Amino acid sequence: MKAQDQRPEDTSASGDGTIADPGSLRPGERVVYPNQGVCQVVGVETQEIAGQRLELLRMVREEDGAAVLVPRGKVAAVGLRRVASRDYVEGVFHFLAAQAENPELDWKIRHRDNADRLVVGGVLGVAEVVKGLHALSHIRPLPTKEREQYDGARHLLVAEVAAALGVPEGLAEDYVDHALLPPAGTRFQLRPPPKPVVLPLRPRHRPERRADVELDLDTLGLELELPEAAVAAVGAEGEVAPAEEGALAEGVEQAPEEEAAGAGPAEKETARERVKGKGRGKAGERVKARAPARKGKAPPKKAARQAPKKAPKPRKGAKR
Amino acid sequence: MIRVVTLDPVDAGDLAFLCRTLYQAFGLGTELSGERKRPAGADEKDGRVDAERLLREAGAPRVIADDKVLFVTAADLSVRPGPLGEPPAWGFAQYGGQRAVVSTRRLPARGVSEASIEAWRRRLAREAIHVVGHLWDLHHCYDARCAMHPSWSPSLPANPDADLCNFCREKSERKVRMAKT
Repeated sequence: MKAQDQRPEDTSASGDGTIADPGSLRPGERVVYPNQGVCQVVGVETQEIAGQRLELLRMVREEDGAAVLVPRGKVAAVGLRRVASRDYVEGVFHFLAAQAENPELDWKIRHRDNADRLVVGGVLGVAEVVKGLHALSHIRPLPTKEREQYDGARHLLVAEVAAALGVPEGLAEDYVDHALLPPAGTRFQLRPPPKPVVLPLRPRHRPERRADVELDLDTLGLELELPEAAVAAVGAEGEVAPAEEGALAEGVEQAPEEEAAGAGPAEKETARERVKGKGRGKAGERVKARAPARKGKAPPKKAARQAPKKAPKPRKGAKR
Repeated sequence: MIRVVTLDPVDAGDLAFLCRTLYQAFGLGTELSGERKRPAGADEKDGRVDAERLLREAGAPRVIADDKVLFVTAADLSVRPGPLGEPPAWGFAQYGGQRAVVSTRRLPARGVSEASIEAWRRRLAREAIHVVGHLWDLHHCYDARCAMHPSWSPSLPANPDADLCNFCREKSERKVRMAKT
């Protein structure tokens, strides 16, 4: 997992107590499995899985008694940590009660950052997610996915606060909301909150495209779907001659100009705008526009335009 | 089944309205299960009642697996102060458990007019839905119109709806369906 590989080794700054050596865990000890909640250590056992003998750390999730098994070698990688200390949790409450920063409005960045915070951020990271989404909910209702993320983060936070402070979960929830939404007229004497969670580094922008890389539909991840009849027709007739193809394609591009030639000034202007706008369409639209030309079939409008014109009526008084 | 137990005298009409609203909110049968004495051991020196101890020590009717018991009291409830002080308590519930208590002490005055009595009943029903929601694993909701919104929130409307928002309703329905009985 990339996010966990880039996690800083020194976790003492965040106070989350990530466990590096599973040998230090004793049966009955309470630990926090990121995104799962508070678990109780049962012990280490050996199992044979897919022909390999693995040493597994067995835990029981306190919430519902579900069994959780983690290979000993993966304990540090999954971010297993001890339950936060009472002092640290108090610091988290001062963070929750402090004024909220402006929430990230780009949902992709926000969702990714929140997912990272839940995994690597410890109890403070979970509190950041709850506070951030809570602040966002004042601006607009959360979409379903983020509503679920908010509820999940709140569940993890309440469980860990309850475990750290030794209070029932119902009371821990009241503490959290007392800090987030203080009653009218309440003022807290706040301390400076703990340092914010350091998120894993990730590229914020798309990688630059190299000039020597050829862009085709496969590279762009596009798939051109043609009707079966059209594919069969191309297969029977063979490739369209380049000159013909060019002529047809050119005909498609120039059609509005031809229209404009025999139209009034307002219609001419509209036709010019249509020609200008052609180059600005999406890639898919251009492909669709050109696809009938490749098949050798003229669009219906063009066919009508190419019909032989009637001979113009001679003017009165003109010499024959 | 939700069983309502009174620890102090409550008007019969109010209790009937409460049972009806709880039934509508959770789709579970709700019935009155009589009166009990408030446990003396839960009283504190300042005249309030320790909510946690009250739930532990109050006598309850006979219940089966997933029954929930809601105590209604007129006493002022207190809870342990947290890192930022003591949150105000309209009620208290054993999260995901079986017992909850709601207090009428902090509700606005009941009054004598039909409108004020109706408003009072709706507020009592809202607090009851809130604590019973905690029994079904519901967390607080940011939506001020939802019954799971914190009771002390400044954004709580003057006449709150005694109902759950869509998210909380669906979650509670899921929990109720998954319950053993």
